[in-house]
This record gives sequence, structure tokens and C-alpha cells, in this order.
Amino acid sequence: MGRPGFVLEVDERTPALLVNEGEAARLERFPLGTRVIYPPDSLPGIRDVGGAIRQALLHPHGEDPLPALLRPGMRLTIVFDDISLPLPQMRAPDMRQRIIEQVLEMAAAAGVDDVELLAANALHRRMTAAELKRTVGDRVFRSFFPGHLNNHDAEDRANLTEVGTTRHGEVVEINRRAAESDLIVYVNITLTGMSGGAKSVAVGLASYRSLRHHHNVHTLRHSRSFNDPPQSAMHHSYDRMAAVLAGHVRVFTVESTVNGDSYPPQVGFMNKREWEWSPADQASYLAFRKLNAMAPAKMRRQMWQRSHAPYGITGVHAGAPAEVHPHTLANVHRQQLTEIDGQSDIGVWGLPFICPYNVNSIMNPILVMSLGLGYFFNLYRNKPIVRQGGVGIFYHPMPEEFHPVHHPSYIDFYESVLSRTKDPALIEEKYEEQFATDPWYTHLYRTSHAYHGVHPLYMWYWGAHALQHLGDVIFVGAERGTASRLGFRTASTLGDALEMARETVGSSPSITYHHSPPLALADVR
Amino acid sequence: MRRPGKARAGVAESLRLLAQGRDLRGRATVPRSAQEWEEEPERGRFPTAWARTPVAGAVRYGLQRGLLKPTAWSVCAPDVRGLERLEGLRGPVVFVANHASHLDTPLILGSLPPRFARRIAVGAAADYFFDTPWRAVLTALAINGFPVERKGSGRLRSLAPQLVAERWSLLLFPEGTRSEDGWMKRVRAGSAHLCCGFGIPAVPIAVRGSYAAMPRGRGWPVPGRPRVSVRYGDPLYPEAGENAWDFNSRLSTAVARLWNEEDIGWYAALREPRDAAVARPAGPPAAGSWRRSWEAGRPLPKSRP
Repeated sequence: MGRPGFVLEVDERTPALLVNEGEAARLERFPLGTRVIYPPDSLPGIRDVGGAIRQALLHPHGEDPLPALLRPGMRLTIVFDDISLPLPQMRAPDMRQRIIEQVLEMAAAAGVDDVELLAANALHRRMTAAELKRTVGDRVFRSFFPGHLNNHDAEDRANLTEVGTTRHGEVVEINRRAAESDLIVYVNITLTGMSGGAKSVAVGLASYRSLRHHHNVHTLRHSRSFNDPPQSAMHHSYDRMAAVLAGHVRVFTVESTVNGDSYPPQVGFMNKREWEWSPADQASYLAFRKLNAMAPAKMRRQMWQRSHAPYGITGVHAGAPAEVHPHTLANVHRQQLTEIDGQSDIGVWGLPFICPYNVNSIMNPILVMSLGLGYFFNLYRNKPIVRQGGVGIFYHPMPEEFHPVHHPSYIDFYESVLSRTKDPALIEEKYEEQFATDPWYTHLYRTSHAYHGVHPLYMWYWGAHALQHLGDVIFVGAERGTASRLGFRTASTLGDALEMARETVGSSPSITYHHSPPLALADVR
Repeated sequence: MRRPGKARAGVAESLRLLAQGRDLRGRATVPRSAQEWEEEPERGRFPTAWARTPVAGAVRYGLQRGLLKPTAWSVCAPDVRGLERLEGLRGPVVFVANHASHLDTPLILGSLPPRFARRIAVGAAADYFFDTPWRAVLTALAINGFPVERKGSGRLRSLAPQLVAERWSLLLFPEGTRSEDGWMKRVRAGSAHLCCGFGIPAVPIAVRGSYAAMPRGRGWPVPGRPRVSVRYGDPLYPEAGENAWDFNSRLSTAVARLWNEEDIGWYAALREPRDAAVARPAGPPAAGSWRRSWEAGRPLPKSRP
């Protein structure tokens, strides 16, 4: 039985604590009295994952067993989460491969010939053939690629279909093949509370016309947080769309959850509480620091991107999406939920090297913003860990770097929009349509491996709630010019950052450090 | 291109940060708010049988009388009393002492008559003295230490009964750990159980002044050769039918009286009406920790009372 999550109060005994800062990590001394949120110990993984998948497919929640849904002559579409999950990438074999192989075994046994596999990449970049192969496994890849294993194309008008409209007037438009299938089997890996459930099909296979109803400033400002679906306006929209979809297409979802083993054993200290570091962990930290600093930038990035996580699987559930998802969320909470009393004046977050949109790519400044003020700030239930008007301190070097193939519209957004305004609502009003409909961006999205033209704006909206909530945002160790373009202040050290924060929150602020890795979902009471 | 964290990536800087809050063995003290969630590491029993062989015994006696005792006697001024009470006593015996300093063990071992000093084993905290191989070897060789689980986890079966059966005398500190404020804590009944089980005597010992000389956190005694007293009491024998709890009560009283002898003398301590097992030398009551440590840290007078 692992230990539950807890809140550490830094005392004179507390050693320096690990803080992520992009493609590096450092030890930091926090002021006495700082509260530090640690998630529960990593849960033990299921030993017989294959057996657990089979059990889930044969004994689903709110659905017939999968073999009973399969028949000759049917149109079966298997849809799977794209490369944005899980983070970091999972050590092979990928959980999606394991599930898809069993689904296909059952489909083959039932004599289903018309099978298509689709990556649910929405407006994300298309996965490369190598990435698809790594995700679904060699056997599936060889059998289906390229004819029947593809990325979803949200701009292929001929292959999109409008399924209906919600009572709020939200257009539900998804991939035609999926919409016209007799059965969609959706294969998911849930890392945080925001993924899975109604989001899977309604978002993963949607078009811009459909996505704009929930990926907007108003919805994101009213999703508090988007990792807590009952309190998330964004998820309410997903739910309405899923209800419309349910009237048109049958969805059998298979959701799985992972434990907290997000880094390989060579850097095992990442997954441990600092006062429990053995001499070997300390030596490994020193070696890591030295090698990481010495490595050329390109090699360092490759080392990080190739540090595949040895995740254990904490649960596999299948069936009707609405019935499955509560089980999935319960597993996520079992691994991540940590109660903390009250908010603080200052919140501190160390940002890692990876976010959903820079897998095998570069974390550009806009992605840093969305990771910090979007994903990490929103790792809460009830209330943010920082009070209204408080200060957010984030660690990231924030280099002014962009991947020209993956993020072309990000470059233009950074250069020509953020230099004029940082206001998410104004950006949405003045620039969204222009970026969303730009034919060059659309061309790159469809034929190259570029994120959709509107994606950088969505990333900016992702931080809209935090921008509204926080009185000041300070990045420790960031490049001054880059941070300034994004509207943030920089500090060289935590001490300087705290000194700057005192201008906003007074001379003796309370501080909470949201420790990661592993991920913790703060349940603020 | 800028390398992340380059300015702070120096090994020296990393080492400095790593060292803060850790001891020389790289172990960090568990922060107070994390103690509730501390996990005891799985630990096997460190083999100590080799330390009880004649050769190891000879080396140890040489170390104790040639190095340990001269060092201890040079850095402080031991005042040993009551050794005459051990005359005629034959082992195995359980020596039971209060514990406030790492000085206590060398002071007792150095003051014991050779017939006991040559055949005595010392109970040492398994999680402290036996957590790393080099420390365990040193503990076993220098003081004939054997691991004692002090948190009652029961993971390790105690070696003490086996040692008594092999006619080794034992030195035990039944408070379980060094006092944090210099005063005595509750005396646990493990030693009494051992004496009652084997029908062997216990010798109470009170060490005073060692907390003032070298409290927790110090690696060497304070300068000025402070006086410390080591008082041996009369051996106590379990009476027929006496249970371990009653025997432990007598034992605690005896240690407390020896403690008080330093302040008020032998006869006054004997006439002390309170049952010392209850009113053990626990220091100023509820007066705040600074007063307790302050009183306990008062050096003993240079001259004998």
C-alpha cells in the first residue's frame, strides 16, 4: 500500500527540493514555512495487463461485451489518442498497441473486414509514420498502414460530417468515416482529469467549426479547473456534444490510466521525495546535472525526448463512455489527488521539458505559457492553489526557439500578435479567424506535420483563466526578451522572484510549491 | 545557444545544495511534516557473530583500552563511582543506563572492570548504527554492538536472548534513543523482560554530565574537559514470581536514585519519598523546551558533591 499524497511544510531539516526547468532540473532551497504538494506514491502497476484488457473488453460498463458488437460486414473504426498522451511518452509497448491488438483479434474472430484506424489528433500535427508505428505496434502498422491507418484531417471538408447541434447551438462535426461507422472503438490513455470521457471522440475527431465552441476564452475562463470535469465549462460542452454523438454513432471506449513512474530508473531521483534520496540517487543527480549541462543542445533535447516513461497501468475500463469515465477519473485521483488547506499568496511551479504539443519537437515560448499557466496552474480542484491576485512563479529558461515544421503559425503569432497585445479576448476577437482560415497554415497542417493555424491562439486561451486570476507572473531563469514578449517578468533566482512578488502580495507571503514530477492534482479546501 | 541552468550547473554548487540538510553519509533528516509518512527501509540483519570471536574480542579490548578510553578520559573528566557494588558479581549481567550522549558508551565500557569489559555486547540502534556497512563494521568491532530495533517494528528478532544464553553481558539503553533535552524518558521494559526471563541481575547505571559535554548534534565534546559522572548501583535480581513490569519499575527507580545522587547525595536520594519510576528525572515540568535543555546542559560542578 503506497503512501497518500501529503503537504510538506519546509522546516530547517528539509533538504533542497527538485524543481524542473525545461530540459534541466535543479535543487532549490525554499523559505521556511513553504508548503509543498506531493502526490501519493506511485501506485503498483497491474501485473497482467493483457488479462486486464481482455477482462475489460469482455465485461464492459454499460455496454455489451465487445465480441457481441462485432459482426461480418460492419464498419469498424478504431480511434486512438495521438502522440500528445501520455507525457513523457510511454516505454514500448504502448498501451494503445496492447489494446488495439486485442480489439483486432476479436474483430478478426468475428470476421470484420472493414476496419479503419484513426489517430484522434484534432488540430494537432499529423503523426509521422514512425510515430504511428511506435504507437500501434509493428504488427498493426504493417497490416493497416498507409491505406487504413491514418491521422484525422480536420480540414478535409469531404471527409467531415455535421452530426447535429447541441441545445446550446454548438455544431458537432466529426470525421465522416467515424460518424458513419457501425461502431467506434476509442482507445485512450488518461494522464490527467481533463482527458478521456466525452472529450475523446467529440474533440479528437472534430473540425475547427466544432472545436471553437469550447476552445475559446469564455469557456476556459469558466473551467475551474479543466482538470475537474464537473466544474469545467469546457467539459460541459464536451458532454453536450457527446450526447448528440450518442444519438448517431455507437462508441465503445477503452480507457486506461497510468501510475506516477514518469521517468526511467537512470533518473530515479525524479520520482522520489528528496529526503529519501539514497547516495546512488544523489550521485545520479550530480551526473545528470553535469552531463545535461555539457551536452550540446540538440543531443540534450534528444536525451530528454527519448526518456520514455516506464509507466505501470493502474486500471483498464471499457464500455459506454459515460459509464467508463468515472472509473478512470477515480484511478487518476487515486494516483494524483492531494488535499491542501487553503490558498497561498504565491504559487511556484517547475515546468518540465514536455507538454502535449512538443513531443519529438521544441517547446516554444507559447507552449511554455500554456504549460505553466494552462496545464500546471489548472492542476487543482475547488480553488487554485494561489489566491485571486496572488503571484505565480514558474521555472523555465523559455528560449526563443520554434520548430519551423511543427509550429509555423506559432512563429507568426509570437512575432506579429503578441507584440501588439497579450489580451486573450482581444486576440480571439481580432486574430482567430485570420489564423484559423489562413490557407498556407491549412496546407501545412494537411500535408506536412504542422499544428493547425489556430493552435497557438488556443494555447494562449489555455492560460486565460490564470492570466485573469494572477496578479503577477514571474519566470525564474527565463530569457528576459522572450518573457517580456509574453508579458511576464523574469528573475534570476527564487530569492529575486520572491522579492519581486512582495510588491504584489506584501512582505510576508505564504508560498506553495506544486511539486512535480510526479503530477499531483491539488484538492484545495 | 544558451544552455539551460549553465550558470548553476557547477558540480560544486550542486554538491553544496545536496549537502545542505544531509549528514556525511548523505542521509537527510526527515522533515517534521513528513515524519508521519516515513517508510522504514527493509533491512536485513547485519551479521555480527564475527565480532564476538576471540580474535575480534582481543582487537576490541585493545582498541577500547588503548584508544577509546584514553581519548574519552582526555576530553572529559569521568568521575566513576559504585564499582565496588559489582564485586562478586558474575555474568551474564544486563547493565541498564540512561542515555544522553555518544559519550555514554565509551564512558561505561572504559570504567567497567576488565572481566565485564571483555565480555559485554552493546545494544545499538539498528536504523542508525547498522544502516551502512562501514558503520556497522565499526560498531560491531569497536563496542561489540548488536542491532536493536528501537521503533518496535519487530522486523528483526532481537539477538539479546541469544547473547545472554551465550553468557555475554549486555549494556542496554532502554530509553531507546539519546535524550533530546538531556532528561530521562520512559524506561522501556525490554531489559526487565530479559532479566526476568533468564533470571539474571540488572545493574543500574546513571551517567550525568554527558549531555552537557556532548549533546546530540555535536561530534566532539565541548572544550574544557567537562566533568561527567558514572554511577553504578547495586545489582537487582528478579524475585521469584516478579513480573517484568514490576522489575522494570524497580530498575527505573534505581537509575533515578543514582541520577539524583549527583545532586543531593546518596542518603538524601535514598530517602527521596517519591517513587522514582513515576517521578523519573524528567526535568522542569512543561516549562518550555528551552528551560529543559538549559537545565540539562548545565555543566556538572568540577568537584564532587
